[in-house]
Amino acid sequence: MTSLSSSTTLAERQSNPQRPLVTLRGIQKSFGPTHVLKGVNFTVRPGQIHALLGGNGAGKSTMIRVITGEIRANAGDLHLQASHGGDPKVAVVYQELALIPDLTVAENIALVHAPSGFALKRQAQAALIAEEALSLIDPHLARTALFRKAGDLSMHEGQIVEIARALSTGAEVLLLDEPTANLTAAETEQLFAVLKGLAKDKGIGIVFVSHRMKEIRQLCDVCTIIRDGKTAIDARPIGMLTDAAIIQEMGQPAHRAEAQIARNDGQPVVATLTGPTIQHPIQRGTILGLAGAPEGPAHVISSLIGHGRHRDWCMTGDGWGNAPTSPRDAVAQGIGFVSGDRATKGVLAQLPIIDNVLASRRVRERRLFVGQNERSECAGLMQALKVKAGSAWDRPGTLSGGNQQKLLVARWLGLPLKMVVFEEPTRGVDIGTKRDMYALIRQMAEEGTIVVWWSTENVELLELCHEILAFDTEGQPKGFLPADRFDEDALAELTGMAA
Amino acid sequence: MNSTSNTLDTNGTTDTRAKPPSVLSTYRTELAIAGAIIVIMLGVGAFVPAALSLGNFANIAQAAAPLVIMALGILLVIITGGIDLSVGSVFSLTGMVAASAMANGVDGFTASLIGLGVGVVFGAINGALVTLAGLAPFVVTLITYAVAGSLAFIVTNGRSVGVAAPNYWLFNSGSLVPGIANYVLFCIIFLICLEFVLRKVTFGRWFYAVGSSSTAAHLLGVPVKRTRFAAYVFSSTMASFAGLLTLSYILNAESTSGASLMLQAIAAVVIGGASLFGGTGSAVGAVLGALMITVIQNGVNLIGINSFWQGSVTGLAILVAVLIDRFSQK
Ligand SMILES: Nc1ncnc2c1ncn2[C@@H]1O[C@H](COP(=O)(O)OP(=O)(O)OP(=O)(O)O)[C@@H](O)[C@H]1O
Ligand SMILES: [Mg+2]
Repeated sequence: MTSLSSSTTLAERQSNPQRPLVTLRGIQKSFGPTHVLKGVNFTVRPGQIHALLGGNGAGKSTMIRVITGEIRANAGDLHLQASHGGDPKVAVVYQELALIPDLTVAENIALVHAPSGFALKRQAQAALIAEEALSLIDPHLARTALFRKAGDLSMHEGQIVEIARALSTGAEVLLLDEPTANLTAAETEQLFAVLKGLAKDKGIGIVFVSHRMKEIRQLCDVCTIIRDGKTAIDARPIGMLTDAAIIQEMGQPAHRAEAQIARNDGQPVVATLTGPTIQHPIQRGTILGLAGAPEGPAHVISSLIGHGRHRDWCMTGDGWGNAPTSPRDAVAQGIGFVSGDRATKGVLAQLPIIDNVLASRRVRERRLFVGQNERSECAGLMQALKVKAGSAWDRPGTLSGGNQQKLLVARWLGLPLKMVVFEEPTRGVDIGTKRDMYALIRQMAEEGTIVVWWSTENVELLELCHEILAFDTEGQPKGFLPADRFDEDALAELTGMAA
Repeated sequence: MNSTSNTLDTNGTTDTRAKPPSVLSTYRTELAIAGAIIVIMLGVGAFVPAALSLGNFANIAQAAAPLVIMALGILLVIITGGIDLSVGSVFSLTGMVAASAMANGVDGFTASLIGLGVGVVFGAINGALVTLAGLAPFVVTLITYAVAGSLAFIVTNGRSVGVAAPNYWLFNSGSLVPGIANYVLFCIIFLICLEFVLRKVTFGRWFYAVGSSSTAAHLLGVPVKRTRFAAYVFSSTMASFAGLLTLSYILNAESTSGASLMLQAIAAVVIGGASLFGGTGSAVGAVLGALMITVIQNGVNLIGINSFWQGSVTGLAILVAVLIDRFSQK
């Protein structure tokens, strides 16, 4: 791992802990007619882990892109100062994965250490750098993934590689835009330990964007809340704010704490889920959670939607035809799919929002023509999910991450489906919208659709599901957890991962 | 920053009454190219008044027709994110095959069908190798470019073949619709049909979906392979059609007649606003791109510049078009 710039010592840096590394004052930014940042203030100080909070589309990612210099603000002051003077080195984990798919993991990591491209010539050295970086948060991946192409990694693995890469640059400012959105609880824990160490021992300033309240409280010291492009709360110690206050400042509807246990009693059994070593009856309108290390759930999902090589799981029963041979076949059979990996598995980036939303209907209903009524159909769906967009003819790339995610859910809303398969559907979705999505999913289930839901966030599964199928770290199914036995410890025990 | 009255409040959700973008903004790039074409024509006209005569317009239309048709074909492939390098060779081979057939007593209609068959077959080969074997489009069509190119020589051992025209189906420079030469008519029909398919037919939208992200499209249930396959067959068949069309008024087939057309057709599509990364492009743009290339060539000829400069001028035109496109987006 590259050490921090040798011209400064830790002592020097800590002697002046209050001098901010990054200062934003009155920053404004518009994209065309969309006024996104309307004068935000933000300060990152050394040794501080700073939560940057706000609803979907508030402007968090835009602020990060202003800090990195990727985009220029229209007005306001951006001031960067390393503790020893000069520009601080800034590392960033973007919300959407940004690895080069045709390079190996080792090359991707080593690339930022020597941008001149030596990493591509000196494989052994690249591997060393990468291994050191990766073993910081995931020793297993460090042993097994160094020479795999980044394009072959799962979203989850890619995320770890990116975080490791950012951590290893020895930057003085770390900008993490929803880095935990697809990590398991255990990995998140590991990451947090590393981050805390970096802040405390090396005086690094860390900006952490997340929609998961629990994580924010675990990790962060202070928080800044952005609302509609303005700073609502500026660098307040996080202990001074209650959850309710934070949610309110973000401008989100108050959270109704309905601690109901989901019930699905008395529904007829309509299918059987068959796996390599397990068979389980599935009732009408079941919300079935998948928990545990990613391999297991990933196999179930790819089997159920007919994608990829894994075909060892299937639904059988009356009205369930053969296992789908392709996603197209699955859609024809009434099986929908939403992925949290929106950049590669979800969004059609070059097509306007309206085509993105209606594509599933065009496939499912075998529409021959692009209809006139699609316009109002699309508008209706976007409103149901409160998608924040300029116009239905904009590209999805102009939407914030959470809003893109809503588009993917909108695709299946209101279609008569036998089953919907969700793969981390709330990745990057803010608290208010998560509630809305839960409600929509419950509604789908109440209408009789079977919902299969994989989430790395156990709390979410426990809240929403009727039963949970747990997988161990080897990817083997460990059994079903019925709703009346839901609790975090039971789930942690079954999955073999600390909650 | 002074916010204008139409500033969107990011609070608001989508305006449900939002109208689709106006024709003007949809065809922004295309209008710019049309403007550029007019400027070029006027510029040439300033040197050579005859450039603005009806006769010269007819020349331009005739010269542009095969390129327009090929550009429309290759457009589909480029929208899906692929490339078709074989169109020039298929153009030549089609001409050679159809002309030889006629020289051997086959009637014009049948010979045309045989010629089109060349395109269909090569398109199917390209499509199958790309979709089923999963090979890179560049490599696949480089192979068929070489093969079709050599077959074009083999058919007659390299000799050119003349045809006696007048009975040659409905291609010849006649007018099915009074006042419009057939080749212009074909271009217009193809343009309208393709633009309609690409905008209003679900299958047409799939070309963009595939070019945008084939994995995401596949997971959505878009028939990715079928769409790609169709693009290659269409591209190749259009190249064949252009070959037949050219044969019908040149009345002579040569083994290398299409050699320069492949790059020009790609250039036309790129000038028309398509990205070689896929997911964008329009039929109107491709046609205007082809027209622009032809107008430049025509101008270079009329002004009397050494025709060796044509390539450079066309290159410059591509650069300007791409720059306009780049900076007309915010
Ligand atoms: N290139 C762009 N063109 C137009 N609008 C854009 C562009 N980039 C962002 N926006 C808009 O700016 C707003 C803020 O986006 P941003 O990505 O910063 O939100 P965010 O706070 O990161 O949200 P999320 O939690 O969903 O990631 C959104 O409404 C988005 O539509
Ligand atoms: Mg964001």
